Amino acid sequence: MAQGEIIAGFLAPHPPHLVYGENPPQNEPRSQGGWEPLRWAYERARQSLEELKPDVLLVHSPHWITQVGHHFLGVPHLSGKSVDPIFPNLFRYTFELDVDVELAEACCELARKRGLTAKMMRNPKFRVDYGTITTLHMIRPQWDIPVVGISANNSPYYLTTEEGLEEMDTLGKATREAIEASGRRAVLLASNTLCHLHFHEEPDVPEDMSREHPQNYEGYKWDMRIIDLLRQGKTSEVFRLLPQFIEESFAEVKSGAFTWMFAAMGYPELPGELHGYGTVIGTGNAVMEWNLVKAGLAGGRPVGSTAPHQAA
Amino acid sequence: MTVVSAFLVPGSPLHFLRPDNPPWKPIIDGYERAARALAMSRPDAVLLYSTQWMAVLDALWQVRPHLTGLHVDENWHEFGELAFDIRVDVNLASACVEATKNAGITSKGVDYDQFPVDSGTIVACKLLDPDGRFPFVMAANNLYHDAATTTRMAEIAAGIARTQNKKVAVVGVGGLSGTVFRQGIAIEEDRIASESDDTWNRRVLGLIEKGETQQVNDISAAYAEEARVDMGFKHLAWINGAIGGRYFGARVHGYGPAYGGGAAVVEFKL
Repeated sequence: MAQGEIIAGFLAPHPPHLVYGENPPQNEPRSQGGWEPLRWAYERARQSLEELKPDVLLVHSPHWITQVGHHFLGVPHLSGKSVDPIFPNLFRYTFELDVDVELAEACCELARKRGLTAKMMRNPKFRVDYGTITTLHMIRPQWDIPVVGISANNSPYYLTTEEGLEEMDTLGKATREAIEASGRRAVLLASNTLCHLHFHEEPDVPEDMSREHPQNYEGYKWDMRIIDLLRQGKTSEVFRLLPQFIEESFAEVKSGAFTWMFAAMGYPELPGELHGYGTVIGTGNAVMEWNLVKAGLAGGRPVGSTAPHQAA
Repeated sequence: MTVVSAFLVPGSPLHFLRPDNPPWKPIIDGYERAARALAMSRPDAVLLYSTQWMAVLDALWQVRPHLTGLHVDENWHEFGELAFDIRVDVNLASACVEATKNAGITSKGVDYDQFPVDSGTIVACKLLDPDGRFPFVMAANNLYHDAATTTRMAEIAAGIARTQNKKVAVVGVGGLSGTVFRQGIAIEEDRIASESDDTWNRRVLGLIEKGETQQVNDISAAYAEEARVDMGFKHLAWINGAIGGRYFGARVHGYGPAYGGGAAVVEFKL
C-alpha cells in the first residue's frame, strides 16, 4: 500500500449563519442571504478541495466536548437532524455522513500509544455536533467524502491552555501517523473561529449585515496580526503568540483544532492562502488553506486515478 | 405558598444509565426519595434550570408543549441512550419570557422540533417525575449571566406562577465539585476525585442541611472556585431566587460521585 499523506489543511470555521445564508435544502430555516464574503471564501475552498480529490476529511470540532479523552466517531453511517442550541432559529439541518471507521480506529489507537486517553464512539444513535456538520457542509456540501470526526477534549479549559494544547499536539502527531499508515490522502479541517468575542443580542433579521462587524477592535487587530503571520508562513511565530492571542481575544483556537491540524502537518513554515475573512455576530472567521500538494510537500493524485467517492 | 418544594439534583446521566453501579446507587436512591417528596408537594408545574442547557445570547425558555426524543450524551455514549417525554407548561413559560424581557433580561422562547434537550434536564425530569405527571418550565443557563441574574430570573418565574395561581416545585440541576477523572476508570471504583473537594462538598451540604443560608451565601464564591463547582453553583442561585433565599434546612437524600465530580440530591425545607 502506498504511504498515506496529508495533502492539505484548512482553517474551516463553523458559524451556522453561513449555512443559513446559503439556504441549502437540508437546512429548514430560510434566509435572504447574508455573510456573502465568507460564503464566497468557502466557495474558493470548495474549488480547491475538488481539485485535491482527497480520500477522507478529518474534522476536529469544539462543539463535541469530551471529558474523558479524545473521542472519534466510530459508526459507519450517521444521520439525523442537527439543531444548533444557540441558534436554533438559523440551523436545523438534516444530515447524513459516512465515517472512515478504519482510519478513525487507527487514529484512536495511535493516540493511545502516545499516552493520550482516546475512545471510539460506537453508538449509532449519536447526534453529530453542529460544529462538525457546519464545517463539513461548507467545505463539501455534496457529502460524498468519508469523514473522521474528532471531539475536542476539554484539556485546554480544565488544565492550563499550554497543557491542553500539548495534548492536541500529540493528537495531531498520532493523526499523521495513522494517515501515513492508512494509504489515504487526507484533508484536515480545523473547525475554529479566531477572535470569539461576540454580540449578546441578535438583530431581528439575523442576516441584516448592517449590524455585522467586529465586536471588539482589539480582537479584530489580533485576528489580522495572526492571519498576516499565517499568510507569510510564519508558523512558529503564530504558535509562540497563540497563548496570548487566546487570552486577549478569547480565540476559539483554544479548543485545539488549530494546533491539532498544524501538529499533524508538521508545523510547516508555509504561507497559508486566505480565501476570506468575515465576522459572524461579531466573531472573527477566516477560511484559510495550506495546500501541501501545491507546495510540493505532498504528492498529487496520480493521473487517471479516482478518489473512492468518485468511483462509479 | 407558591413554591411548595425545592430540590438540588445532579445532571450527570451516569446514575440513570447505570443505576446498578454501587458508587452511583446513593444518588439513584436519593432521587427516588426526592421524587416522592416532589409528588407529595402537589405542584402544578416544575420550574427547572439545568447548567447543561447552555445559551449565550438570550435567556431561553422552552415553550414547545411536548418534547420527545432520544438523546445520546456526548461524553457517556457508551452507556446508552436517554429517552425523554416532557410536557411543558407553555402558558407559564411564555409568561416568564415576557416578564423577564420586561425586567431587562433579553429572553426568547424556544419551540423547535428535535431541539437538543440536554442530559441534565432529561435525567432530572425522568428521575423526579418518573410517571410524567407534571408539566415543566425550563430555563437555560446563559453563560454570561451571573448568580444574581439567575436568581432574578427564578424570582420572576415564581412571581409569574403566583399571578397564575399556580403552585410550583423548583429544581436546580447541576453538579457539586468539579475535579473529575480524565482517564478511564472502573466505574465500580468511582469516588470523589479530590479529598479537598469532598471536604468542601460536605461542609456546604452540612450548612444547607442546617439552614445556614447566610453562611452558604458567604462561602459560595470560594467554594465554587476552589472546588470547581459546576457553573459557579448557579443552580443554587436559581433555587434561592424562587424561594426568596429562605429555607429552614434541607435533607440530603443522597451524596456521591459522578466520575470523580461531586453530586447530591437535596430537598430544601421551606
